[in-house]
Amino acid sequence: MSQTSSSRLLRWGCVLLPPALLAAGFAWAAGLFSPHRLSTARFMTVLENGGGAAPGFRRAHSKGLCVLGQFDASGAMTAYSSASVFSQSHIPVTGRLALAPPFPHIVDGPGIVRSMALRLQPDHAQEWRTTMNDPPLQPMRDIQDAFASFSANQRDPVTHKPDPRLAKAYEAARPWLKTAYAANRAHVMSSDFANDTFNSLDSFQVTNAQGENHTVRWSMVPLSPPDAPVRPEDAHDPNVLFTHAIASLHQQPLRWNLVVTIANPSDPVNDPSQPWAPTDRTITAGTLTLHSSASEDNSPCGGMVFDPTILPSGLSLSGDPLPALRSAVYMRSFVKRSGEAKDPSSITPAMTQPH
Amino acid sequence: MSSSSSPRGFALSSRLVHWVMAVLILAMLGLGLFIAHSSTTHYVTLLHLHLITGVSLLVLVIVRLLNRFVVPTPELPTDLTTPMRLGAIGAHLALYGLMIAQPLVGWAMLSAGGYPITLGGSVTLPPLIAPDPALWANLRQLHTILAYSFIAVILLHIVAALFHGLIRRDHVLSSMVSGK
Ligand code: HEM
Ligand code: HEM
Ligand code: HEM
Repeated sequence: MSQTSSSRLLRWGCVLLPPALLAAGFAWAAGLFSPHRLSTARFMTVLENGGGAAPGFRRAHSKGLCVLGQFDASGAMTAYSSASVFSQSHIPVTGRLALAPPFPHIVDGPGIVRSMALRLQPDHAQEWRTTMNDPPLQPMRDIQDAFASFSANQRDPVTHKPDPRLAKAYEAARPWLKTAYAANRAHVMSSDFANDTFNSLDSFQVTNAQGENHTVRWSMVPLSPPDAPVRPEDAHDPNVLFTHAIASLHQQPLRWNLVVTIANPSDPVNDPSQPWAPTDRTITAGTLTLHSSASEDNSPCGGMVFDPTILPSGLSLSGDPLPALRSAVYMRSFVKRSGEAKDPSSITPAMTQPH
Repeated sequence: MSSSSSPRGFALSSRLVHWVMAVLILAMLGLGLFIAHSSTTHYVTLLHLHLITGVSLLVLVIVRLLNRFVVPTPELPTDLTTPMRLGAIGAHLALYGLMIAQPLVGWAMLSAGGYPITLGGSVTLPPLIAPDPALWANLRQLHTILAYSFIAVILLHIVAALFHGLIRRDHVLSSMVSGK
């Protein structure tokens, strides 16, 4: 009697234990047992605590303007990469010029990081999406730095402002970021979007038809003359940088050269916070021409994501740790904002019409 | 016992596709949960593995359905109570539904999000539907809901299979393990 009942218990154990272990495995994969594991959700929380998490807006680079244009490859990069974007002309481009902070209605001002995001869609070939910021170096070297950096920028629940001591502490605890902070502080901001240089910061890998690999970074270097200095009547325009960009685009196209830097073997290719040798070889891969703008409220650049890991064959990820992180976090930001009702952007469709 | 027209165990082809898919689906659920809940430098590689395996599973479920209509399958034991019989049929239908729906939702959601789906080199999966941001948000949520439902039904399915094999000691478990 007791023997049969204990063997019955054992058999029930064999029925229930395997599914229980499997369930525990799934719970582990979902991070239930590892509250300290860095996750996309935790990144979203600190990013949203740094801004207002304005419904419908991007969780970073929230204020922006869509731009349309084309890219014409020079052909010079074909020695390094088999990607069609480096051999074709008249490649249609959808882009977005933006301010980096997570505030969709931030007042334009000097000293605010600016960005350029592009989607190059060649005919019958794979597209390329790339995002660039205007500081020369990224003040974070890996996923841990990124989390610490955004955590230090969270707003205090009482004062609604970030605590400047946290940002100082972040910098002080990371001697490896000294060079990046020094370079970014020394960087002189241009007057406008039109005459700004935008940098990939992260590195990527290019592969040519022979299968040879090189690590690269790239920049968009402006060809357009600087705009006229801000007129007194514009001084109080909260959108002055964008109104300038829109007005310039009504007058003439704005152009940039895509300049690709080829790493030499001693460059720190896996660390976006470190500079590369100034003697590195650079290739002018082609010219970007922007000819018009539109509000993100009625242009496709609003409802899409510039995920920097969307690369055509011939371009791929390097050992830089940030693009993978960014891909996951951008996806989550894109999902969240796509499911929310959005208020009108600061840059309205009416503002992009010619006067 | 089983009627003369239906075999006692599952044919080799049925067992093969069942166990290959079982291993892949369990791996996909674990992998999906892991990439959605961790920040790792391997994210892009792991997501790519998820897409490739997900698309392979879509092909496998088509093979499995064809096999299911061609190869005879054993009947459930005749002495099962009606609720157990309905439960078994319902669970198998749910598993088939999820095996078909989950990869299709994955494919459709990335299409709605405007993501190109690269399988390898310059081979790209064509978009299943046109870009639609609101639909992208809903389908991404649906992919999660289906994944959690999948886990729940699979756990029940395993409890039931082991219950047959170890408590009821009928031929159901061996019909899928050894085909006898
Ligand atoms: C390495 C340097 C980085 C560069 C060059 C960069 C650049 C950009 C640019 C240009 C945009 C705006 C895209 C647009 O206009 O639609 C953007 C958006 C965004 N960035 Fe970054 N970023 C970098 C690092 C990061 C990191 C480390 C994170 C956090 C993990 C992050 C989080 C975001 C988020 C959440 C968005 C909004 C995505 C969306 O909803 O579309 N970025 N980034
Ligand atoms: C049987 C097949 C599949 C299973 C069992 C599966 C399972 C999962 C699971 C469990 C998750 C995590 C959900 C969450 O916790 O939010 C997930 C996420 C995801 N799946 Fe699948 N999936 C399958 C097929 C596919 C396919 C075919 C695609 C695309 C073509 C796909 C694309 C994705 C994407 C993009 C994510 C989001 C990753 C992230 O949030 O960072 N899946 N999947
Ligand atoms: C993980 C994913 C799994 C899926 C999606 C799945 C799906 C199915 C389906 C749809 C059937 C019905 C027969 C058919 O048409 O193929 C079936 C039968 C069966 N499965 Fe699974 N299965 C999974 C895992 C397992 C595991 C882990 C076990 C063992 C512990 C198991 C044991 C069985 C048995 C014994 C049968 C035969 C039931 C009968 O006689 O009708 N399955 N499975």
